Amino acid sequence: MIEVHLYGKLRRFTDNQNPARDSVIYVPVEEEDTIEDIVERIGIPSEELGSNIFLNGEYSAKTRQVRANDRLGVFPDDMQLLYKWYFRKAGAGEDRDRD
Amino acid sequence: MSKILRVNMTDLTTEFESVPEKYKNMGGRWLTSCMVCDEVPPTCHPLGPNNKIVYASGIVTGTAAPTSGRISIGGKSPLTGTIKETNSGGQAGQKLARLGIKAIIVEGQPKEKGQYWVLKVDKDGAQLLPAADGWLGKGLYETYPLLFDKFGEKVAIIGIGMAGERLMSNAGICVNDPQNRPARYAGRGGMGAVMGSKGLKAIILDDKDGPGVPIVNKEVFDTGRKKLTDALREHAITKPGGGLNSYGTAVLVNIMNEAGGFPTRNFREGRFEGAARISGETINETCKKRGGVGMTGHGCSPGCIIRCSNVYPKPDGSELVSVQEYESVWSFGANCGIDDLDITGELVHLCNDYGLDTIEAGVTIGIAMEAGLADFGDGKKAIELMHQIGEGTPLGYILGNGAATTAGVFGVVRCPTVKGQAMPAYDPRAVKGIGITYAISTMGADHTSGYTIAPEILGVSGKVDQFIVEKADMARNFQYATAFIDTSGHCLFIAFAILDIPSGLEGMVEECSGVLGTNWTLDDIGRIGGEIIGMEREFNAAAGFTRVHDRLPEFMKYEELSPHNVVFDVPDEELDKVHAV
Repeated sequence: MIEVHLYGKLRRFTDNQNPARDSVIYVPVEEEDTIEDIVERIGIPSEELGSNIFLNGEYSAKTRQVRANDRLGVFPDDMQLLYKWYFRKAGAGEDRDRD
Repeated sequence: MSKILRVNMTDLTTEFESVPEKYKNMGGRWLTSCMVCDEVPPTCHPLGPNNKIVYASGIVTGTAAPTSGRISIGGKSPLTGTIKETNSGGQAGQKLARLGIKAIIVEGQPKEKGQYWVLKVDKDGAQLLPAADGWLGKGLYETYPLLFDKFGEKVAIIGIGMAGERLMSNAGICVNDPQNRPARYAGRGGMGAVMGSKGLKAIILDDKDGPGVPIVNKEVFDTGRKKLTDALREHAITKPGGGLNSYGTAVLVNIMNEAGGFPTRNFREGRFEGAARISGETINETCKKRGGVGMTGHGCSPGCIIRCSNVYPKPDGSELVSVQEYESVWSFGANCGIDDLDITGELVHLCNDYGLDTIEAGVTIGIAMEAGLADFGDGKKAIELMHQIGEGTPLGYILGNGAATTAGVFGVVRCPTVKGQAMPAYDPRAVKGIGITYAISTMGADHTSGYTIAPEILGVSGKVDQFIVEKADMARNFQYATAFIDTSGHCLFIAFAILDIPSGLEGMVEECSGVLGTNWTLDDIGRIGGEIIGMEREFNAAAGFTRVHDRLPEFMKYEELSPHNVVFDVPDEELDKVHAV
């Protein structure tokens, strides 16, 4: 399983809608799964996804692979306040880094 | 014709001057920094007679350009000893511009200490009036209504609180918001103490029947205004109902916490277990639940499209404070181990009342907790410590002089300041690009001085290729863009939209060209931004600052930050390269 923390409008995919507490969902993970696969499995529409995605606290590309017991934090498109150049995007090739 | 108002506090005279050709196209930070460089000796004492304080609206401030109500205030900072530009929203920027005044320069110093004046400016001119005793020595929530009674509800007030009267290095300068609250601040760098040292309690701006802001080329201006407005309305972060409008700047609480760079308990840890309870989402939810006057989407100045401010209600729906923003709920919240918005709100209210910067004040309380004056998480004690500043006790004077002074007095080594100014809410060990900004900024630790680059882009990994050089160039250009935005009079938050939507960026430049009658292109952003940062660095160098001051506090090099367990490992030579190129 992977522990996914969802924020803003994405909290609707969890049981907890109270923003004063974390909204967490546990999702089964298969070998070679990427962040994108997990997000799809939860049912989050791709257009609601922002660039602020954190795997174990690391700003990450959607194509990055996940493993069991990882912690994934996902913010929606209207919350992507951390500008992409503040971080190196883990798990991204250089071409992807460029955009 | 726009004019410069020179106010001499030594002989209490005011004089209008024509605008020299050199300053004609300047505004905001460009103008304040240039005037400070031209007129202030870099080695002067910030609170002495030779420092000056300059107030200037942005180039498009006072026009119909969206989200453009900023006023810049510059001088030599008593907190950092460097040049300073600090800017604010509220009502003053637009009214100053509509009075046809390019800048106000306040210079000299009254011979007798403890006497205060009020500068009244309207369409007929300017005059210095003695401040009534009843306006002094009390909180601004009491003083501002008295000033509005005297001068009318429609004026703008740029004023200082008790912290400024007492010449404390954490004194900010307050500007009234659209509902006339003393709630918007040019907070950073202790410029309120400089105003206090001039014996100036407040500037009253009455723009009734003022000349307004002339627009040389209306067609170009309107084209630009439409492009920028469209970009702001389209971008998910800046649009009505978007991230900033719904949650305020505190939307960043959960993001930085998830990233492990949310400084907790005086920068001991990078994640706060109570983050969700002080988040923008919780602010939004509480405003809805408690109702009453509570609201998100509050505009801090007229004509803002983004509207990221809020009015936070008490449990009974009456007003606790405006505004609970990211930096403040962090500085008094996570940084002090406090997870209660009612307490952070009360502490912000005290800052507004006493005339203090919330970032510096919260970091100072965190250091006081580190020193054992209170336990982390003890909100009641934090409030008591803040009251000491209002009461003017010896401890209050120490705390009112900011984080570095307090750390020095109590022997606290874990002191998160650069050039004497407290760090905002991003831990540089987890967000190294911001660490570089903090280190090399001309203003001390400052998150608004530009987007800087992650260290690997500077070649820390030993790899320097064309891709890296391109990105370094781009990052430097972003710093220049920031200085340009602060010159235009727009709020820095338009950056989200204009960095992603190219026509928005063009629009900002065209608005400026329209007002001034210039033919600026995107290339001028770099030219002007580079000129501003260059002159600021020259001032600092002449004031005695060297590359040794472009450093983060030493503890960040050897104390690991959880959860990533990282130190700040960008080599000093790399920091020196940013401006060497």
